[in-house]
Amino acid sequence: MHPGTTTHDTHEVHGHIHPPPEGFVRKYVFSLDHKVIGFQYFITGMLIMLIAGSFALIMRLQLIDPQGALMSHNAYNEMFTLHGTAMVWMVLIPLVTGALGNFAMPLQIGARDVAFPWLNMASFWILPVAALILFSSMLFGGPHAGWTEYPPISLADGTAGALWCVAIFVVGISSTMTGMNFMVTVIKMRAPGMTWTRMPLFTWATFATALMNMVATVALSSATGALFLEHVFNVPFFDATRGGSAVLFEHMFWFYSHPAVYIFVIPAFGVISEVLPTFSRKPIFGYKMIAFSSMAIALLSFTVWAHHMFPSGLAPWLQLPFMILTYAIGIPTGIKMFSWLATLWGGRIHFTSAMLYALGFLITFTFGGITGIFLASVPVDLHEHGTYFVVGHFHYVVAGGAVMGFLAAIPYWYPKATGRMMSERLGQLGFWLFFIGLNGTFFPMHWLGLEGMPRRYASYVEFAKTNPDAVFWNRFETVFAFFMAASIGLLIFNAIWSLKHGKLAGINPWGARTLEWTISSPPPYYNFKKIPEVYGPPYDFGHPMPYRNTDNEIEPYPEYGKVVMPVPAAAGA
Amino acid sequence: MASAAAPYPSGHAAVAARYDAVDEVYRETRDIRLVGFVLFLLSDCILFSAFIFAYVYLRNSAPAWPPFVDGRQLPWFDTSFAAFNSIVLFGSGVTMHFALENWKHLDKATFYRWLIATIVLGLGFLLGQAHEWTGVLHDGVTWPGSAMGASFFTLTGLHGFHVFVGVCYLTILGIQASRGVYTGSKYFGLTAGTLYWHFVDVVWVGLFFLFYIW
Repeated sequence: MHPGTTTHDTHEVHGHIHPPPEGFVRKYVFSLDHKVIGFQYFITGMLIMLIAGSFALIMRLQLIDPQGALMSHNAYNEMFTLHGTAMVWMVLIPLVTGALGNFAMPLQIGARDVAFPWLNMASFWILPVAALILFSSMLFGGPHAGWTEYPPISLADGTAGALWCVAIFVVGISSTMTGMNFMVTVIKMRAPGMTWTRMPLFTWATFATALMNMVATVALSSATGALFLEHVFNVPFFDATRGGSAVLFEHMFWFYSHPAVYIFVIPAFGVISEVLPTFSRKPIFGYKMIAFSSMAIALLSFTVWAHHMFPSGLAPWLQLPFMILTYAIGIPTGIKMFSWLATLWGGRIHFTSAMLYALGFLITFTFGGITGIFLASVPVDLHEHGTYFVVGHFHYVVAGGAVMGFLAAIPYWYPKATGRMMSERLGQLGFWLFFIGLNGTFFPMHWLGLEGMPRRYASYVEFAKTNPDAVFWNRFETVFAFFMAASIGLLIFNAIWSLKHGKLAGINPWGARTLEWTISSPPPYYNFKKIPEVYGPPYDFGHPMPYRNTDNEIEPYPEYGKVVMPVPAAAGA
Repeated sequence: MASAAAPYPSGHAAVAARYDAVDEVYRETRDIRLVGFVLFLLSDCILFSAFIFAYVYLRNSAPAWPPFVDGRQLPWFDTSFAAFNSIVLFGSGVTMHFALENWKHLDKATFYRWLIATIVLGLGFLLGQAHEWTGVLHDGVTWPGSAMGASFFTLTGLHGFHVFVGVCYLTILGIQASRGVYTGSKYFGLTAGTLYWHFVDVVWVGLFFLFYIW
């Protein structure tokens, strides 16, 4: 038959409806459902967080004594390398993009799934494999050069270093695929009437993150790929004695890894932008400015990477523009911060645990942002590079920014995800433990760093001779680190306990206004009975919800076969 | 060709009409896949860009180029054969374009002829690359031996891998087409294959300039 003569046969349409998943494996293991994949990311990320977090506690225990209380210097090097690597690539990025993005973004735009459900499943299953590869490197002596694995040192890591490269390469592929998937989902699958400026801000944040994930992560894969080739085939990309350049690795690495910090903090910004208006009962201030700031940060983040490399012998004419661009990225961030503060102004504030985390975020992230401005300045950075000041700054931004945002999202979306509320009492206790623990652990690092205490040292005998107070403050930090650990333990207990004992949530326990709060909790596998229509902005508290065609309780759920799902197959016409 | 009895008129208007004459689900799916595929190509582009950056960086920071290895300066790459091989690859881009156009105009037989020509030219390019690599190795430029060899073999190897994947891809598309997977209005797979093949061509323009002209 001539190819053009086939009429539009109807079996193609029905071929696109995928049936409700059946059986344990299809439902919970190799599930195509974005919500289930979100849970999988959540559980995997939390498990790896327990491992990487216990490494941090072991490091803090080592520093109780200036001699080093626990282990050899080599073992300590291994601990901080694996702590950083696992936390950045296998905890934070999977949690904020994989878990939160997967769960909430398709619900917020009124879609039944992401654009490529099968690819989404593949992205997730890469993560545990990568984690196994990373931790298996400990059997070969472990990587030692820090989470950045700069070449002249990391080349001495042998097999362990090569395994590190493979793990990061592989998890990078997962990030790239997720980024592509989310970008297409946001561009193509929004409900009718949901224009770009009616999108919820978490969706905006996920979109900006997806852009960075897709563009920058490939550069990281190239860097780790080249390092792998150097490890295994001795190809001289980075060995300066054979015509390579170690600084080249820094360029390739930071071209990804600076955007990486925005990859995990921008979704947190998105969560804050959801939580603050909901619990202030007030439209968000400066919706468009917040949305465009996310995009501005995403674009600017590609132009600032060399501020990590000021001491590497970067030419002065390059230092200056990188310094100015790094200052410039503070502008969109500041716009967001002031918009959030203005959202609170005159609102009726409800101090739920999600709101407490969001308010805590405003404090700790601002503090981390300000020390970031210090470090962007070339002379200050040359002085502070490689000290505890950098560690303090980084952890204020990551634990005080990305993790706080993530922790705000857990009680916020838990009712939607499970149908039950988390315990508020435990949640608020958890917040105070985390907030106090975070400040107690990382705040003293600033003045220890200013006094010149170097990071990544397993013992600080010499430093303690000239700065006797360092011993006290290191012990102080160690004690408070356990507050944070207790808070995470409490969160896990709360999440499990509330599955059975939490109050029933209903459709919209918070009185929030984005689309995910118009469907039942937990949502059915196809999310929306009918795809809703959007006719207004998402945060106009005090007005009726701007959606037509939403689910209501009287109408029965449609039968299988009446719901059109996105195409799960990878191949075909 | 077009007679009054033909079920479809020929010409671009007819192609456009057929392209639009699909059900809603297929139209949305096609849009989604098109955006996704373009984004995939964009990320692939970054992969090449990163290694091109590495090559430019290493070349600019080297004291001499071509670099010295064991006191001997390495030779430049031979432009003339690479130019010939480039023409083979660019020619395959032209044939692929004709293949897709003929499919859109419902001329299945001509489509197969051009598709096979594309696959043959792609394989020819790979053979040419094998010849090129032998020559370069013979000149003493090796993968682990120097920054020049590292960049050259990594980048052309990555590109050659893409060409190899493309040849397999086009072969699969040909088999799918012969089994009736694609129709005159539903042929997104062929569009994607063509986009991929053109992308591989365009990357080669950059690589040819960097290694043989610069």
